[in-house]
Order: sequence, then C-alpha cells, then structure tokens
Amino acid sequence: MTGGYDERCAADLAAVCEGRDLSREDRAWLARVVTGAVRPNRDKPLWDLAHALAALARLTAAGEARDLVSLALDPGLARPAGLAARLGEGRVQGAAADARGLVLTVGAGWRTTWAGLARLLALAEFLLTAEDLGQFALVSGWFGDLAAAPDGEAAAFLGKRLARHLAAYRNDHLPLAPLERRFRALLGHLRGRTDFGDDDILAVWCAEMEQGERVGFRTVAEHFVTFEAAACLRGGLDGLAAAESLDAHAGWEERLDASLADLVAGEPAEALVDLLAGLADGPKSLNGPKILTGAERDDLADLLRLEPFHRSRPLTTLRATSFGRVQSGLANRLRRGGGGPEIAERVACAEAETYPALAERVGALAAHLDRMLRIAAALRVPADADGLGPEVRAALAAALSDIRRVRRAGFDDPDRLAAGFAQADTALLRLAEEVGRLQRAVAALDRQRPLAPAFAADRDVFARTFARAYASEAAA
Amino acid sequence: MTSEGEPVSDAAARLLAEIHAARGLLRAAPASARPGAAALWAHALREPGAPVDLAVARAIRTDPDTARRYRTLLAGQALAHAPLAIAAAHGPVSSRRIGPFALEILAATEDAPPLLILRGVVARPPRLIEAILGDETLRLALPAPVEGVILLALDPAVPEAVRLGDMLRDPACAAFLL
Repeated sequence: MTGGYDERCAADLAAVCEGRDLSREDRAWLARVVTGAVRPNRDKPLWDLAHALAALARLTAAGEARDLVSLALDPGLARPAGLAARLGEGRVQGAAADARGLVLTVGAGWRTTWAGLARLLALAEFLLTAEDLGQFALVSGWFGDLAAAPDGEAAAFLGKRLARHLAAYRNDHLPLAPLERRFRALLGHLRGRTDFGDDDILAVWCAEMEQGERVGFRTVAEHFVTFEAAACLRGGLDGLAAAESLDAHAGWEERLDASLADLVAGEPAEALVDLLAGLADGPKSLNGPKILTGAERDDLADLLRLEPFHRSRPLTTLRATSFGRVQSGLANRLRRGGGGPEIAERVACAEAETYPALAERVGALAAHLDRMLRIAAALRVPADADGLGPEVRAALAAALSDIRRVRRAGFDDPDRLAAGFAQADTALLRLAEEVGRLQRAVAALDRQRPLAPAFAADRDVFARTFARAYASEAAA
Repeated sequence: MTSEGEPVSDAAARLLAEIHAARGLLRAAPASARPGAAALWAHALREPGAPVDLAVARAIRTDPDTARRYRTLLAGQALAHAPLAIAAAHGPVSSRRIGPFALEILAATEDAPPLLILRGVVARPPRLIEAILGDETLRLALPAPVEGVILLALDPAVPEAVRLGDMLRDPACAAFLL
C-alpha cells in the first residue's frame, strides 16, 4: 500500500505513535486526522484540540506555551488513566474535570472523555513535532497565544489556525490528487456497485493506461483493496459521499478506526516479511539462520502485498505478481534510461512468469514454510517431553534430523538456530498460514478457470496495453 | 456521469483517497529509535544540576540531527515566551547580544573573579543560561536581577562557572536564555 503520503509524513506520524505507544485504534484515528479522513468535517478534531487546550490551560493554570507543550509531550499523559489521575476532579472558573473527562464551561461549552483527550494530545504532539520539529516555534507560539487568554474565542481562533496549518501540511506531504482521480475512475467503472471481480480491476487499470496514466496494475489493485474495505465497512457506499448520512450513521468513526486498525494488524505481507528480512539477508542476520532467502522474501512480499486479495482474489494476486514485475521492469528501465531487455521486447511480456509456474512457486514456498515451522516446533518442544503422542514425537524427531539436511547459513550451529527461530516463529506461523490460504485459493481458481489458458489470455491483454502505453519508447 | 445519470461522487473519491493514504501510513515503516520529542523536551526543561537522562545527553552530543532537534526545542521554548532568543554572536567576544539582552564578561581583577553581566528590559528575567559549543553543553542557574541587571561571578573555584566564561568568549558558542 503506497502513495498518498511522503516519507516525512510517515516519519512524523510514526514518531508520535511510537513515542506515545499508541494503541492500534488510536494510531488509526491519528492517521485519519492527518490525511483528513474525518467526516462530516475534517477540521473537527482541530477544533476539539483547541478547546481541550483551553480547558487544560485553565485547569492547570498554564500561562505560557511551554506549559501546554509540556502537557502535550508528557508520555505520562498519553493514556486516559494517566490523564484522569493527574487532572481528575479539578474545578476552576471556566473548566472542570470530572469522572468522565474534561469540560470547558466558557463560551458555548465543550467536553471530551479522558480517552478523547488522550487522542487529542497525540494530535497536539503531531502538530508540534511535524516536519521533524520544523514548525515547532510557530505552533508552540500559537499555544502561547491561547494560554494567555484561554477562552472560547481564543479556542475557536486556535482551531481555525490549526486547521489551516494541517491543510497546508497535507498540501505539502499528502499528494492525494492522483489517488482521488483513480478512485473516481473506479467508482465510475463500478457505477454504484460495491461488488466487483478480478476483471473489473483489470478493466480499470486498462482504462487508466489507455488514458496515458502509467499507473501500476498493483497500484490500481491496491485502490480496490481500500474500496472493498470501505465498502464492507459501510455495508455499501451509498452514503459514503453524503456528509449528513455519515453523521447519522452512528458509530461510523469508531468502526472505521477499528477497521483500519484491523487491516493493519491483519497485515501479514510487509510487516511479517520485514520481520523475516533480517533472517534472510539483512545486516542483523549475520548470526541468524537463513530461514528465507532474499528471493523467497521478495516472492512472499509480492504475493501477499495485496492483503486480503491473496485469499479472496487469487487471479488479481497472480496478475499483480506476474505482470506487475514486467511493469516495474519497464518503469525501471525508463527511469534508468537503459539496462536489460529493450522496451519493445519487454512490452511483449515474453518474460512474464506464467500462472502455473507461479502456482508451483507458491506450492514450494508453502512447503518450505511448513518445513521451517516443523523445525521451529522441534526446537521449542523437546521430543521427549511428557504427554506427546507417538505421532507428534516422531514428527518432532524427524524435524530435528531434517535440520542437518537444510543447506543454508546458520543451520549448522544449534545455538544460532534456536535463537533465530525463537525470534521468528510467530511471524513464520502467520506467513505459513497466509501462504497456505493463497495456495488453496489458487487451486480453487485453477479448477474454475484453468491457469494456463488464463495466463495466455491475460498476456494478450497486458502486452496489448503495454504496447500502446509505451509505443513511443518501444519505437525509439 | 454514469449511465444511470448519477454523478460519480467526488466526495466519495476524496474520502476513499484519504482512507487509502491513512492505511498506507499505518503500514509505513516504524520510526528509527532515537530520543523522542518528549525526552528532548524534558531535557530542555531540566534544572541545572538535576539528574539527566544520559542516553539523551549522549545522543545530543554525538548525533548532529538530535542536537539540531534539541536546539529547535530549546529555541522554540525561548521564543515561545518571547522575547528571549538565541544568541547571535557578533562584536568582541567579551560582549554579545542574546536577543534583547546584552551579555558582557568583565575580566578578573586582582581581588575579584571575572563577572558575567546580563542587561535587558523584559517582563520576565531569564532563570537559566545554556551555552552550547560544539558537542559541549553547559547550563547554569542565573541569580535574580538587581535593578534590572543580572550579575554572575565566574568564581575560579567553581569549574562550571569558569567553563561557562570560556565558552561564552568563543564566538562559535550558542547561548540560550531560558
């Protein structure tokens, strides 16, 4: 899942999430606020933050920016319980804290829960520290203006300032326009449908390419992943556009956060593959066993990256892996201005990996992961442990003796091996599970739409589309 | 427009784009381990002589990027209760401007140690001075002003005071009044 943000933004957000050790739901909330995925009014969290700061300024007698900055950056206040303990049961003119949370009683009045306040302070930290502290002086100066006179008017003013500030940040760090355009194309293609098939994804990609957008097939497929997640979340996209109906849809925000958090937690591809990267060939692996080779890791990343399509849409997964590689080869060659086969040769997709060959590799990966899992189990559970059935005992003994047959770095050193597997076996289990699901999905696809002819048909489509899109370079 | 005559919703596309970017951000690589803003801020607020987080102090000393972020917080803090500001070293090294303040170091005489003199008309006098020269950082408490002037004797018996005087005489030394 790439696009829509730059590295600076990713680093700014990650620093806050890690520094405060935010829960998955709170990470999802903060990411949504940063990108603007808040409805009906994407500026609402900033308005809330300004009012929270006004109430905090009153309650803690914070007279200066540094006092509010200290509250925003204090890791002890990152949790609702910490906030309740520090501020609970306070009451001053214009603000109070009660069992439920924080209340601002001046102006039109405002309140939030402790959990809500914890989130808002995370947002405050993001705004203060964004751009690697590039805007710190400016934003903390605004906090100081509020602290000098923390009333409803000042809060509303700060809310507007922060909203403008975050909008400018989005302009600089969140290039959403291409994403928006692609989603418009997607919605236009589906014409109100929320269900779609592999061929809808291919059709949208072909149409984009026809229009001169050299967008990756994988990138278009990623947009469908998000669309599916949002569509099933809403039980239909009918009201996704209409602010009022979103507002009326009670609990929409919570469910979106939970769903985003789930999507991230249930993400086997990159997170787990990254975890195993060190065990394949990264610098940290110098002492670990080579459970995965670099090539195996790359294959797994390519095959699982469109989570959850490797379970539900194996054809799109195969297309993205096979022709996605052709397309990134084309893009790389154009970027470098040379190297490897000519453009004219590449667009013909002659070197695209066939679906039967990919299916075979999925099988080999599944078998390899299964073998590694058995070894992991054998390293964890002594074969003479109590209560094991004879079959399990035999399997563990077989796995132990199998270790000697693995011709990979680190498998000849029992200590390195045990330490390496102990670190990796949770990730290994997840990967093995997901690859197993992909394998079953591909097998089911093969029965329904045999892989060899499916590949031949797809190669015609991709080759034709590439040839048109890259005609000028191919002729050069 | 779709064939049914319904407009393709720009609002839906916009929201989907925002959700898409949020999902991408959540999957982005985690930040590298380094002192976070909270730890640097706590360090910037420390009292002279109070225990410091040695890992933070070391990171500020050895990692230029951390040093830059620390100075940003320090400067932002000073600016935040303006008009205190970062030192701009110019003129003879025995005197310099630090924002609205004039800082002067009088040489020792036979019977008196060197004297640091800080003059400036502001609503709130600085409580602390922090000098940063290369990878060396020194923070000292300042006495309360007497008739608008802060006087600090750089007592030869107090190594930190001597060092502060030496550092401030170096034009490359940054000074923060907090």
